[in-house]
Amino acid sequence: MKNKLSRFAVPYVVWMAIFVVAPIVIMVIYAFSNGEGGFTWDNFAQMGAYGSVFLRSFKLALIATAICLLVGYPVSYLLSREGASFQRIAMVLIMLPMWMNFLLRTYSWMTILENNGLLNQLFQKLGIIALYNNITGSEIEYFSMIGTQGAVVLGMVYNYLPFMILPIYSVIVKLDGSLLEAARDLGADSVTVFRKVILPLSLPGVLSGITMVFVPSVSTFAISRMLGGGTELLLGDLIERQFLGGAYNPQLGAAISLVMMAVVVICMLVMNRFGEGEEQAVML
Amino acid sequence: MRKAKGNSAGNRLLMLLVGLFLYAPIFILIIFSFNAGTSSTVWKGFSLHWYTELLNDRLIMHSVYITLLVSLLATIIATIGGTFAAIGFYGMRRKARNSLTAVNNIPMMNADIVTGVSLCLLFVVFFNGWGAFAGWVNSWQSMIVLPERLTMGFGTLLIAHVCFNIPYVILSVSPKLRQMDRNLVDAAQDLGCTWMQAFWKVIIPEIKPGIISGALTAFTMSVDDFIISYFTAGTSASTLAMTIYGMTKKRVSPEINAISTLLFTTVLVLLVIINVREAHMEKQRQSRPLAAVPAAPVRKPSRITPVLKRVGAAVLAVALLGTLVVTGVAARRDRVVNVCSWGEYIDEELITQFEEETGIRVNYQTAESNEALYSLIALGGADFDVIVPSDYMIGRLISEGLLAELNYDNIPNYALIDDQYKNLSFDPENKYSVPYTWGTVGIIYNTAMVDEPIDSWSVMFDEKYADEVLMINNSRDALMAALCYLGYDINTTEEAQLQEAFELVRTAKANGVYQGFVMDEIYQKMEGGNAAISMYYAGDYLTMLENNEDLAFVVPKEGSNWFVDAMCVLETSQHKEEAEAWINFIASTEANLANMDYIWYASPNTEALEGYPAYYEELYEEELDPEIYEIMAAPPEVLDRCEMYLNLPQETLKFYDKLWTQLGI
Repeated sequence: MKNKLSRFAVPYVVWMAIFVVAPIVIMVIYAFSNGEGGFTWDNFAQMGAYGSVFLRSFKLALIATAICLLVGYPVSYLLSREGASFQRIAMVLIMLPMWMNFLLRTYSWMTILENNGLLNQLFQKLGIIALYNNITGSEIEYFSMIGTQGAVVLGMVYNYLPFMILPIYSVIVKLDGSLLEAARDLGADSVTVFRKVILPLSLPGVLSGITMVFVPSVSTFAISRMLGGGTELLLGDLIERQFLGGAYNPQLGAAISLVMMAVVVICMLVMNRFGEGEEQAVML
Repeated sequence: MRKAKGNSAGNRLLMLLVGLFLYAPIFILIIFSFNAGTSSTVWKGFSLHWYTELLNDRLIMHSVYITLLVSLLATIIATIGGTFAAIGFYGMRRKARNSLTAVNNIPMMNADIVTGVSLCLLFVVFFNGWGAFAGWVNSWQSMIVLPERLTMGFGTLLIAHVCFNIPYVILSVSPKLRQMDRNLVDAAQDLGCTWMQAFWKVIIPEIKPGIISGALTAFTMSVDDFIISYFTAGTSASTLAMTIYGMTKKRVSPEINAISTLLFTTVLVLLVIINVREAHMEKQRQSRPLAAVPAAPVRKPSRITPVLKRVGAAVLAVALLGTLVVTGVAARRDRVVNVCSWGEYIDEELITQFEEETGIRVNYQTAESNEALYSLIALGGADFDVIVPSDYMIGRLISEGLLAELNYDNIPNYALIDDQYKNLSFDPENKYSVPYTWGTVGIIYNTAMVDEPIDSWSVMFDEKYADEVLMINNSRDALMAALCYLGYDINTTEEAQLQEAFELVRTAKANGVYQGFVMDEIYQKMEGGNAAISMYYAGDYLTMLENNEDLAFVVPKEGSNWFVDAMCVLETSQHKEEAEAWINFIASTEANLANMDYIWYASPNTEALEGYPAYYEELYEEELDPEIYEIMAAPPEVLDRCEMYLNLPQETLKFYDKLWTQLGI
């Protein structure tokens, strides 16, 4: 019976060979070739020049991931202590924004953060800007928020926070209640229960949450383009620019993608080593 | 974790704040969809105007349709394919399963951009190979004529979506399979089920919840995706996300708010219905716990099933492979012309008019800059017939053999073009292009935000205006400003001079002079008073002036660039005749007048250019401000200090690209 079933996978294995493995092989070939098709190390030799872009991307993505974790963990934990109907509604509410395309939501932030945007209008009405000018002696008419790294991080946190909450929540909510009772019976106070039981057991959720926030953050280009004003390139922008943007060089783009992929995979492997191969939390 | 103690008020507050954070931007989108004004930050009263506009907007409605279609199809294909794959994996030995699962996880683990880029490269390589193959097949037989040119489009988009959806389906089906009692299938067979029946009656119902949640995830991912679509859809199929992204680079119409509101309400209503029904059913189940389940009739075993199964597997495999080819061959029956131009660069009425007159459907798209257009064409992702590049880019495209020679017999209106704009350096014998507009590049500034008269490029690099300046986001124009300021030739090929110009821009950037690097985003930023100084094209300045009277324009004293944008047909075009019909239509005096009135760029059509003031007077019953006319059609004394871009040698172009990439670092 079991062996018969395995035949069902044949079409998909073929599919994977064509649409998962082959593209990556082609990307590797591109990364090692020059415009005329010959072999070259050049694309990687140039990489040093883009070190600061790598650093900036990883820095912003790490900050965004940390904020998501700091906000997402407590929220998931608190959620799991609520009643069943509350949880159900909350889950729907967290998922709901994802059904609107993330560019729509990011666009909304543009109108909020603009120099003449809603937030600055609000600050003006509340007199916060006047107050700030009084205190610091400056003469600003607005706080400049759009086009800063802060705005980019905000966009990342906003878009990917649900990806942090969902896996953590789904792990915590499945924790065996009797374990916690046992811990309390054995004399642990609630801090100890959290630290020694809940936290270690929720680690797989945390790890998959980190992955799901970090990877899209480090490679985004739409968010940095829309909220960052295009002044500070991220890795995603750099790659996009080589393929469909203003500096055509797909070979270099493939090389940067490859390096980024490698770095991300190494990070994930190291992290998963800490998680000791725990099974990834299943979303939804 | 069934310790429903509930939370303290403080903890609830935290959750409320997070909820507010997630929903505030959405509510703002919704509120401003009812705004009577065009601004998305200033409230001008309640109106349903944008909803009616939305329904009439072909571009947005079509992209909504594409989004839904691709999401639905991809979900269906991925759910079926993924379920079978998961069952197949389940039936494998541990070792094989583990290594295949690892491969399966690649699209999920990889950043979207890597998936997008690698699929894009696959398609490009495949299409190139296919082109050679089809050419070879067509050369020795004439029974079947294979299309020699495939481009990315709906088919590749669908494949890409299926690609990233299947792993999610497998991920949610696999756990259900593992939870299933293995003896169930054996028991069913012992009780007389055939193998097939056991599959349909036991396995599928057992894993149904996994299949459903997998399908839901897949659909969510498809709707939410932008990056992978962006790299694999080419130019002919645009999803809603791609349309929005294109719009955020220009002026965003509040129609976008309206579509957001509609999407949001639809999903909300759907979710409420589903949840209410589920809660209802749960209650019913609890009240009647032992309702009798009607026994399903068992069909007799059939001998055909094993054969069917094998045929089915083969068909599935062929179908998977065939999708690529079939989608490329997608019928090109109706007469179409794919036009790619710049944002805000045509009176859209002309498109409708042309379609009504000729019955040719116009697919109108826009590119961001000459360089981005070049990337699209060079990568092979573009499905354009007519493009409207600027002078120097036309030179480059000609030298790389990417443009087709025009048949001027089909373009009688070419005679109406002023000789001044014919046979220019980029197309010396004028075999490839028909001029569309011409104009100058200059500085646009907000007189309310600047307290001195501006007449020099120096303001583009001056720390005095830190964070108030918008730099143009294309290498040629940005470095032109610096080269002019330094007193160098704008067509210089000396790397030292270019390097010096680049350093000027880079230092200014490092000193925080630039609020951003923009192309058409400039409309919104300058009109809204969000920036004081920028450099852009004269015609676009006049468009902005209509919305903000404080803006002024100057062609700096150091000189500048004057350009001609001309219509060309790509060598790869499949609709050359339609393309020439379009070019002829646009070159007519009537079309030029309408265009000039709409986009404020000067026309190369003598009759139209000279007749415009009279046309304006007749239309608006007031005289055209001569100053505006002078900005639109720069007088000789201004043109004297301007120069045209020349196509630069390959090494210089590479040097430009290198500098431009470094600027972002």
